[in-house]
Amino acid sequence: MYQYSEQDHQLLLERVSQFRGQVARRLKGELSEEEFKHQRLRNGLYLQLHAYMLRVAIPYGLLSSEQMRTLAHIARKYDKGYGHFSTRQNIQYNWPKLEDVPDILDDLAKVEMHAIQTSGNCIRNTTSDPLAGVARDEIEDPRPYCELIRQWSTFHPEFNFLPRKFKIAVSGATQDRAAVAVHDIGLRLVKSKTSEEIGFEVYVGGGLGRTPMLGKVIRAFLPKQDMLTYLEAILRVYNMLGRRDNIYKARIKILVHETGEEKFRELVEAEWEKIKAGGLYLKEEDFNWVKGFFNDPEYDILPDQDADFENLMLSNADFARWVDKNIELHKQSGYRIVYLSLKTAHQPPGDVTADQMDAIADLADKYSLGHIRTTHRQNLVLSDVQLKDLPALWGELKALDLATPNYNHVTDIISCPGLDYCALATARSIPISQAITARFDDYDFINDLGDVSINISGCINACGHHHVANIGILGVNKKGTEVYQLTLGGSAREDAAIGKIIGPAFEADEIVDAVSEVLSVYLENREDPEETFLTAYRRLGPALFKERLYG
Amino acid sequence: MDNYIKDRKVDSNEWMPFTGLEDGDSLPTGDIYVPLEEWLNARETLLTRNGRLGVALRNTDDPAIIKDDLERLDLVVLEFPKMADGRAFTQARLLRERYGFKGEIRATGDVLYDQLFYMQRCGMNGFELRDDQNASNSLKAFDEMTVTYQPASDEELPLWRRNK
Amino acid sequence: MALQVYTASLLKEGLVAYLALDNGRPSWTTDIHLATVSNDDALETLKTAAEQSEQDNIVVAPYAIDVFQTENGIVAATKREQIRAAGPTIALPQDNIRESREAA
Repeated sequence: MYQYSEQDHQLLLERVSQFRGQVARRLKGELSEEEFKHQRLRNGLYLQLHAYMLRVAIPYGLLSSEQMRTLAHIARKYDKGYGHFSTRQNIQYNWPKLEDVPDILDDLAKVEMHAIQTSGNCIRNTTSDPLAGVARDEIEDPRPYCELIRQWSTFHPEFNFLPRKFKIAVSGATQDRAAVAVHDIGLRLVKSKTSEEIGFEVYVGGGLGRTPMLGKVIRAFLPKQDMLTYLEAILRVYNMLGRRDNIYKARIKILVHETGEEKFRELVEAEWEKIKAGGLYLKEEDFNWVKGFFNDPEYDILPDQDADFENLMLSNADFARWVDKNIELHKQSGYRIVYLSLKTAHQPPGDVTADQMDAIADLADKYSLGHIRTTHRQNLVLSDVQLKDLPALWGELKALDLATPNYNHVTDIISCPGLDYCALATARSIPISQAITARFDDYDFINDLGDVSINISGCINACGHHHVANIGILGVNKKGTEVYQLTLGGSAREDAAIGKIIGPAFEADEIVDAVSEVLSVYLENREDPEETFLTAYRRLGPALFKERLYG
Repeated sequence: MDNYIKDRKVDSNEWMPFTGLEDGDSLPTGDIYVPLEEWLNARETLLTRNGRLGVALRNTDDPAIIKDDLERLDLVVLEFPKMADGRAFTQARLLRERYGFKGEIRATGDVLYDQLFYMQRCGMNGFELRDDQNASNSLKAFDEMTVTYQPASDEELPLWRRNK
Repeated sequence: MALQVYTASLLKEGLVAYLALDNGRPSWTTDIHLATVSNDDALETLKTAAEQSEQDNIVVAPYAIDVFQTENGIVAATKREQIRAAGPTIALPQDNIRESREAA
């Protein structure tokens, strides 16, 4: 994990002190709300439906146990004892007071954390693969590149007042667990077709919101040395040409769309030619330096089997289910990757209490080399657990309500906070996710359905990523009533697709039945249990589903 | 009070904006700056004067248009029609870093305390603060942050290489 | 005639607040039942007081909402405002955890 230098620390302290000054000026009335808004948003502070909301950055989803304990401390001391992990791998607090925020930032700075650029029209926290460095299908670890992007983008003086927010995701594996196709820029580490050289496939102009689009491949292969100069060229073209006349057309996806992919590429390449040899050109020494922070830990040499583990698999069905659903193979023999499900019947998706956070930090220390990762599907990961420790870890996770065996299954629902918390929302999301979870909370059913995703957004801004769910739900307000549109066929993975609205919206008390019908159509029509929902939907098309839902 | 900062000092603004070019005989003396269109239309007339000259760009103009004129100019004025519109940050960097402009790059419009740090990093060194801002109180904004990660007009190298 | 109250967010705390006038003296309460209800005619007085509070940096972005007077007190007309007045409609996480532990 990246270790702060004295200068990194200095920068955080200066930022906290600057923000403390901004808050003081606001309270004294020297800053208007409109002006302060730009400043507080650039520090992750929103004014939401009930209170301020502080979004804390978790750079590319990587946390130490010490950092997790600080997050727990903040939840307890300044908030109502819980936090919410978001689809951008960050954590949000729902109830901080403005006056307390500088103190919260001080506490965060002590553990190398902050809220820098977690909102506002600037380059946001870079997201990545939660399995970076441990995945079996990895081409190269994306985290060193994410760290370089973090440094390049932090307080970038030219790009702090962009037309709109800007999100970058980096994936280093064959499977896409970072949803690169739906980011303003998506970078996929790839091997050159002609040599062993590693570089990036560059996607630009993906995004959800009211105009969902998949990113276009602007460059099929970008040598890794050119990563930052190329990003700078894209951002520069966007800063000058992106639309500022209409907030709904201000994202880079609209610029790419309106300019045309070919012309946009020409603009970027022309700008890049002029800066590619500049100070941001990355040298071998830069990679060596940054990769040094992400070396493999000293793994024990272990067999990839364990008698106690095997025995419990045979004797305890609950354990076997958990292993089947929430455990992934690790690149290192004798180790496993463990998903901690934040999707239970008892808590909103992504919510974690301070007690749970402390306990997770302890488990990370005890079983997983002191690190925790956050995922864009709002779960957590312990990435380096020894096979022999799985039974004990499972017992502890169960006691914490973090062992629901449902990863990538029907009750592993992504949900935005919706109208229960959000000032922009038009309908509630969490109660719908809870109703769906309650309806399908049966292991055999979940298991039979297999790999399927349900995502819920409480408004057109699509923070719940409903467009890229196999089954997406969008809540809208229709003449004062919350109604829910169904979209089918989306995917956020390497086969990324935007789902299509299947028909007229359902009322809150009808939507769970509608989802149930959709699942039934799949179960009745799949070729065999191996055919996933998405594959079946793509084969069958929408007609059967439409007929069942609307007659 | 001009509410004007130049090279990190409160200063008085000597420059006059000028657009009345219909009558070539009545060109004012002293330091004037003109909109880009006037510059393009009346470059030669303007150059007959003795005072210093500046050009004001709209934030949609490509600074490349004046790149060959920069040696004859002492001032380029950039605009921030509202705080959130950050196009002039790019214009400033291009003027300084790509076209090597050595004169004053001046920020005008919604020029507020909290942007000064970023403006300075992009090569702006003249600041016409918005009327309600206090120039002497604003000087400390330049030094609120001392650590910078990325190259810009004030640094050629990223932090990680400066340390080596 | 539509009944309305003025609402805003408290600048320091961020919490939802409602304007109450006591002999013309404005104060802000987090309890909607204590808000001063006004019909169209008297709304202007509330508006002036609310805007003054905004200028005084006590509240952010005040606006009027429609309400009903019921036997249980003041009820906001829209779902959004009902949620603002009463808090999230779901149990907060620690409440749930406590309940599920007690049940177990």
